[in-house]
Amino acid sequence: MDAITGADLVRAMMYLGAGICMGFGAIGPGVGEGFAAGKACEGIARNPENAGLVTRTMLVGQAVSESTGIYSLVIALIMIFSGV
Amino acid sequence: MDEITLKNLFAPEGMAALTRLCGYLGAAFAIGMAAVGTGVGNGHTADEACSGMTRQPAAKDSILRLMLISQAVTESAAIFALVISLLLIFGSNALPSLEKALALLAAGVSVGFGAAGAALGSGLTGANACKGLARHPRTQGALTVTMLTAQAVVQTSVVFALVVALILIISSFPGNSFIRAMALLGAGISAGFGAIGPGIGTGLAGSQAVDGVSRNPSASALLTRTMLLGQAVAQSTSIYSLVIALLLIFAI
Repeated sequence: MDAITGADLVRAMMYLGAGICMGFGAIGPGVGEGFAAGKACEGIARNPENAGLVTRTMLVGQAVSESTGIYSLVIALIMIFSGV
Repeated sequence: MDEITLKNLFAPEGMAALTRLCGYLGAAFAIGMAAVGTGVGNGHTADEACSGMTRQPAAKDSILRLMLISQAVTESAAIFALVISLLLIFGSNALPSLEKALALLAAGVSVGFGAAGAALGSGLTGANACKGLARHPRTQGALTVTMLTAQAVVQTSVVFALVVALILIISSFPGNSFIRAMALLGAGISAGFGAIGPGIGTGLAGSQAVDGVSRNPSASALLTRTMLLGQAVAQSTSIYSLVIALLLIFAI
């Protein structure tokens, strides 16, 4: 095995970091969006007439929750393709 | 065989030992983390089944049946991890290299953490299904269908992790590039940890949906639709993780 230079180390850690970034970044949005979907189901079971409003609110809440997942995706893609 | 020390473990003569060592470490991660999730998930289902039987002894047979169905689905996540563990322990006759070593470790991390999340989520759904059946034994049919639909979506997150693990085990990575080795480890971490959140989240959605079906069976179609919509959004982050994992495997 050839010696690992500083530049190799930086690139290797950027790829490892991309994986860690997307992996851990997906935990929060996944659980949070699940909470929103669960409570929406609970609300619809109580009052099915409000299903349209509840579904709309659920999707808006999930979209906001999703944003941190998309930040992680963007950072991971930057780390993979920035080509340092 | 030459004596392998820590000093030459990363040298060419130590590569065979390093590959085996990483395979065993990966096997431990896979089945260890899967056991954590499956144990907690199945235990939670059994907990609710027992308290349901106490409240509603007349429905004890159908509660037992629903509990066993739910636990069988939950257990499948652990079985995926068991298969990967056995492959990592007995099936690694791959060409030893630094990249292959880290790929085997990454495969274990991927399926282990993925299985933990999916099993936890699946167990949450099963627990509320048993609770709901004890509340209204007449809703058994609708409850079983909704529970299995929800658990099928929950298990997709571990299937993504399984796909990445199988790619990492089956593909040959003959090179010794440190950069590529770290990219492969990153792929495993991305697919594995990325499946935890969606697994638990879709399970939470499913658990409230089966709860709603038992309270208000007339709304079960509407509830299933809303549940699937919510789960689809929650599942999206695990797809991002899968994309990053595949990019790290194939595009580096």
